[in-house]
Amino acid sequence: MRRFDMYVPENQTDLLQYLDKHEAGVQLVANGTDLINRIQRRQVHPKTLVDLTGLVELSYVKKENGMFRIGAMTTISEIFRSPLFDLKYEAFREVARKFGGPSIVNVATVGGNVCSASSSEDLLPLLLVLDAEVRLRSIRGERVMRVEDFVKGKRVIDLNPNEIMVETMFREIDQDSRCAFEKVGMRNSLITAFVNCAVYLKHSKKTKQVEDIRIAFNRVNGKIPGRARRTEEKIRGHRLNEKCLSEAMSTLRDELQLSSDFRASQEYRMEVACSLFKRALARCVEELAGEKILV
Amino acid sequence: MSKHLLKFNVNGKDYALIVQSHERLLDILRDKLGLKGVKEGCGTGDCGICAVLMDGKLVNSCLVFAIQARNKKITTIEGVGTPEELHPIQRAFMKWNASQCGYCIPAMILATKNLLDRNPNPTDDDIKWAISGILCRCTGYLKIFEAVKTAVAEIKEAH
Repeated sequence: MRRFDMYVPENQTDLLQYLDKHEAGVQLVANGTDLINRIQRRQVHPKTLVDLTGLVELSYVKKENGMFRIGAMTTISEIFRSPLFDLKYEAFREVARKFGGPSIVNVATVGGNVCSASSSEDLLPLLLVLDAEVRLRSIRGERVMRVEDFVKGKRVIDLNPNEIMVETMFREIDQDSRCAFEKVGMRNSLITAFVNCAVYLKHSKKTKQVEDIRIAFNRVNGKIPGRARRTEEKIRGHRLNEKCLSEAMSTLRDELQLSSDFRASQEYRMEVACSLFKRALARCVEELAGEKILV
Repeated sequence: MSKHLLKFNVNGKDYALIVQSHERLLDILRDKLGLKGVKEGCGTGDCGICAVLMDGKLVNSCLVFAIQARNKKITTIEGVGTPEELHPIQRAFMKWNASQCGYCIPAMILATKNLLDRNPNPTDDDIKWAISGILCRCTGYLKIFEAVKTAVAEIKEAH
């Protein structure tokens, strides 16, 4: 492997002070499941790595005042085991189930998944549809921004060199809302998604209309994760009937700008993306109203 | 390049070693401690063959920097059972002839241990999930699956 230095901070304050002094060539590393590969493939050439594994205080799942807060060093298996995610949040367990095998989910972190910001991240679409935020911290203070603004493109995030991600947080969803996650890859374990899809749906029982919907994919434009807003607009405020769905599907086909690579062709990805969206939506509706819609 | 003092416990024994920043846990276990039961497969976290237990949790040792294992408790296959008294999981694998070339077996046994230490009554799906991160190109997994079920029964009986 390429040689580099590793700085092992004594605690969080030491880490933040170090980052404030050293800017160039410093790369944060949590549990390294993604970064070690990228170093070996010579995709990144860090001069110094800064080890975050000592920050055990950033490993938690909390629910306070209607807000969920997940620490950046929380692993995917800790999310899976958290009793705070009840049936309404089964989507988180679905992410964990499809994320990878035990030896990956035991170490892969929430912060790593968000900050890697690649098209293969499974947690990102779910955080996008929950309108989650991230808290960033430097020795000079903290700032909070929406995940959607934080992830600016493939492997591009709005993190200053002196900052670390502390946690991600999102508002608890109400009784009329559900979220769902779907993924297709080559195999069930340890695999990068061809496509994944998360849907958040708020459906009024009274009016039988969609009050709010958010749809996100690991790829909406080439390899950039994001929301399918035009498709959302076609559904928001409407009844979920065949006409609405077929309009939404044709908008989705138009809106998604997918690409081909060694994993899957663009055409195949499009078919999978449409099916996953329908499945995720159907799951939300089913859980909310006990009805099945077109799948 | 910076060097670090790595203090950790492997198979019940404390070690203090000098490691370099870029060295992986896998390199240290095999090359410095001579624990050749830890195998390298793909080296990218896809095959799971290099799996060890770190503080009781299954991890791929090719994806852990050595220094990140500081103060941790590592278990490799050398720390499971002894030649005189095999672990029930090892006996079950022998009974079912679940090992062919044998390359994945240390990881399979540790993955099984990782499961049974937490969940003594796994369902079939739990078992499949538990070994899902580890590739075996010989057995077709069926005998491994049956071996795990036998191990579950034996461990339950022993208690």
